[in-house]
Amino acid sequence: MVLPTAISFVCGVILRLALFRSSLPDWLSTKTEVVTPLTSWGRAMEGLALHREGISPYSGDIFHESPLMLKILGFISRFSPNTINLIFVLLDIIQGMILLRIANTFGRHMLLRQATSVKNYHPDAKKNLLRKEDLMDLQFYVTVAFSFNPYSIATCLARSTAVFNNIIILLALYQMLKGNSFLSAVFVALAAYISMYPIILCVPVAVHYFLMSRKGGMHYTDPTAVVSYLQILGVTFMSLAIMLLFSMLFVGSWEFIPSTYGFILGVPDLTPNLGLFWYFFTEMFEHFRTFFICVFQINVVIYTIPLAIRLREHPTFLFYMLLYTIGIFKSYPGYGDVGLMFALLPLWKHVYQYMRNTFVTVCMFLVCTVFAPIQYYLWIYAGSANANFYFAISLAFSTAQILMATDLLFGFLKREFYLHNGDKHKLPDGTDAQIILDS
Amino acid sequence: MPGRRWITTIISLGHAAQTFLITINSKVQHYHLFPKSLGDVLTTYKVKELHLSQTQGLWKHEKWGYPPEDAPPGDELWVWFQPHSGVDQTWADLVNALSGLFCASLNFMDSKSTVQPRWSFRPAGLASEFYSANSRFVRYSTLPREVVCTENLTPWKKLLPCGSKIGLASLLNSVKIYDGFYHSLGVHVRSVCQDTQCLTPATELKQTLTVVYDPTTNKNGKQDWSFQSMFDRTLQSQCPLADTRKIYVDVTTQETLPKFSLSPVPDFVLNQKRSGEERKIAVYQIGNHLSPSSLNLKAMYEEKLTFSNSSLPPVYANRFVTGYGLERGGVTCMIYNTMSSNTTVIFMETVPWFLRVYFSSLRIENDGKEIKPYKINFIPAKDRANPYQMELVFRLFANSVTKITYSFERAFLKWTEYPPDANHGFYVSSAVVSTVLPVASQYTATSQSVSLLEESFSDSSSSFFLRLHTETLLVSLPTPDFSMPYNVICLACTVVAIAFGSLHNLTTRDFTASDPSKRKGLVAKLKSFFKKEKESPENKPDSKEEEIPSQKDKDNSKSEEKDSKKKDGNSET
Repeated sequence: MVLPTAISFVCGVILRLALFRSSLPDWLSTKTEVVTPLTSWGRAMEGLALHREGISPYSGDIFHESPLMLKILGFISRFSPNTINLIFVLLDIIQGMILLRIANTFGRHMLLRQATSVKNYHPDAKKNLLRKEDLMDLQFYVTVAFSFNPYSIATCLARSTAVFNNIIILLALYQMLKGNSFLSAVFVALAAYISMYPIILCVPVAVHYFLMSRKGGMHYTDPTAVVSYLQILGVTFMSLAIMLLFSMLFVGSWEFIPSTYGFILGVPDLTPNLGLFWYFFTEMFEHFRTFFICVFQINVVIYTIPLAIRLREHPTFLFYMLLYTIGIFKSYPGYGDVGLMFALLPLWKHVYQYMRNTFVTVCMFLVCTVFAPIQYYLWIYAGSANANFYFAISLAFSTAQILMATDLLFGFLKREFYLHNGDKHKLPDGTDAQIILDS
Repeated sequence: MPGRRWITTIISLGHAAQTFLITINSKVQHYHLFPKSLGDVLTTYKVKELHLSQTQGLWKHEKWGYPPEDAPPGDELWVWFQPHSGVDQTWADLVNALSGLFCASLNFMDSKSTVQPRWSFRPAGLASEFYSANSRFVRYSTLPREVVCTENLTPWKKLLPCGSKIGLASLLNSVKIYDGFYHSLGVHVRSVCQDTQCLTPATELKQTLTVVYDPTTNKNGKQDWSFQSMFDRTLQSQCPLADTRKIYVDVTTQETLPKFSLSPVPDFVLNQKRSGEERKIAVYQIGNHLSPSSLNLKAMYEEKLTFSNSSLPPVYANRFVTGYGLERGGVTCMIYNTMSSNTTVIFMETVPWFLRVYFSSLRIENDGKEIKPYKINFIPAKDRANPYQMELVFRLFANSVTKITYSFERAFLKWTEYPPDANHGFYVSSAVVSTVLPVASQYTATSQSVSLLEESFSDSSSSFFLRLHTETLLVSLPTPDFSMPYNVICLACTVVAIAFGSLHNLTTRDFTASDPSKRKGLVAKLKSFFKKEKESPENKPDSKEEEIPSQKDKDNSKSEEKDSKKKDGNSET
């Protein structure tokens, strides 16, 4: 499977390079679905221009990147525009290579886990087991999903800084799969430093660390287990604190905190995007604004706990599900998050057959992706539509993402049920029983 | 000593400008002539200098030259405070007090539209070098949307020592004044020297009213004007409190075309010489003309009005919005220098926070070549807190047009932040161009070192401070649907509920096999729910038993039989 993988990888790179020559990058960098106030390259350039002039970029409300990103982007921006395009293609190449490694390691990891737990499975479940041959072509599918995924291509062409966020998250996943949980925790802290929400990814890393080092029948709530969780959490928060300290030393004060984390939490900028926050808070009564900000921000992170309890045996899938909750419910979502979800989706292709709504979901994604720029144009430029049209698209897109996430979880849990209970359930009179969700 | 003057200038063919100037000079806290209401406000809020202008209309510099006091459309207020701490709070209190005093919405001049100009608004009166170099004590704010009407003229008239019943102020007929193209009320307070030794400063209050008329609309094509035609009144009295009561008429063009004659004949004609400019001013001593009947000053033209080119002023500016759509746009300001010498200019702009100005897009160009400014002061805006403040110092080349451009992005406001007519747009205040002119062509302001107008007639200075205001801009912002708050909240919460419901179901419930025919309808479910409460001890072991095999990872080869048996006890839950 090496040759098709290599061909699709190279095709992806050539596609990005070719598209950089067209007018597509300039158009995409203005699209609010692709770039948000947090990840916009234009705003990053503005912040750097202010920085060069001696004005603090955090004194205004245009630049919202963290100081480390300020440094990295300052370094990148010194090159000519063509070189900057090449740098973004290079970042995508790096992302693709990390995905390849993840696919590889994931396959091995899954087979190992399966080998340890196959004794708990139902004998009839043999045909549902993963086989090595299936996992050999994981690399190919992941590469195709990333190289030709329109969301990833759009993120790369628009020079959105979400690529950095995605690379760090993928590195965290890769290190987690390889077994270096502490390094993974450091990457989680770095991702949280850049965009705050990935801090919840320390939970799957902690669970994974415990599972890797579990001896015998240790339960999740044993003191030793709790100690291992606290170790991971400690490493995460320590790294985050160190990064914040260095940022303070670089900028000279703590003024970057309200501009970055305060901005993510407080949502003062109501630029439209494909998320739920912007129109909700445009039309929110002032009296209730703080209450609903709290509700929406808690909504992003609250799913960690039930999902962690339900998926405690499968921390990798928990990691992936948390990527969904972050990408759907964060305050400024963009195509960068969607691209990451789609790039990792082929890892669970063994779950597809248990999903129920794939057709509806795919149709919704297609329709929303095509409609969103049209409705935005009609509202802002043509003046013949109004904000509700774009809001409808954002609702439909969020619903499509939610359907995909919950369908995937449903399929995963159903496969687990079949693995443990077999897939033939008959009633006393011989007819098939229905498998339903019940408490 | 107070002085009242009234100046008429024919500013361009077809338009006549009248300026009404009253200057009162008084010692601190001496309310013989100085209005007490204003004086109280000034002392309570530690004001050193105050300049308020309320204007309706735009002064066309390229056609009309320079007015005695340049003012932007709307309200403009700039104040220098005495050194003290907490200037922001004092400013907020001051604008509230002034809004009551002048019947204008000056209380809207809050931090969202207030800036501290560094170079553009130096003190006009006495101030030490150290004090004026620091912009900590100055505040500048404008309200471009403000409308000026008779409500504002009345409190302005109340500040005059003689009120509006006698003297020149009795001419001010509000109906006629607000019929003009342009009218501007001004109140200027500053510290000046009382005498040549300048041991103690005095407070000078200067009130100005500038009105621009079009006389030709009345009379058969001729530009004849008189007090009766302009104000519907004649001058019948003079204010006994005034020291100087004079009327000045600019008669520089009396001998050239178009010819006109004044009636009654002026007392004498002055020559005003300023560097580069010579003017003839006809002077009337009001007292000489009041008896036997009232004074009705008339100008009669021999011929009908014909239009021709007028000469351009040395420096003038134009500003406009560029771009299309409601997402982004640009602002271009063209500054014209018609003199044959270079001049340095300070350009100040205040842009509201919701037009996000990109500093990296700021360009100054002259004839296609980029000019690097001498100094830049750019303070970016904080959302809903401060506006963008931009001050540029650069050189205007001789006989050229300099273009300043920058682009902005339009922000999306909350639905409560839009004004009642949301699609009308938002106003951006005028840009201020400050420069020092070497020639006084078309320059009519009094020089800063003197208080009275006639003291500037024999002005031998060679530099003239000029402040220009450009047009205000009207920018539309994208609007949400104002009728939809409930719908939006419901729909967004529904989407969140879809996710919450599905994830809640999937994480709190387990898969079980059940018999669809044994599942009851809603009514039967409710009945069995109430029955279950009585029979709960019986049901518990059943439900425990069937849950255990599906949860634990033990061998459960017999589980499907158990499941189908337990479906009875399970189906109602």
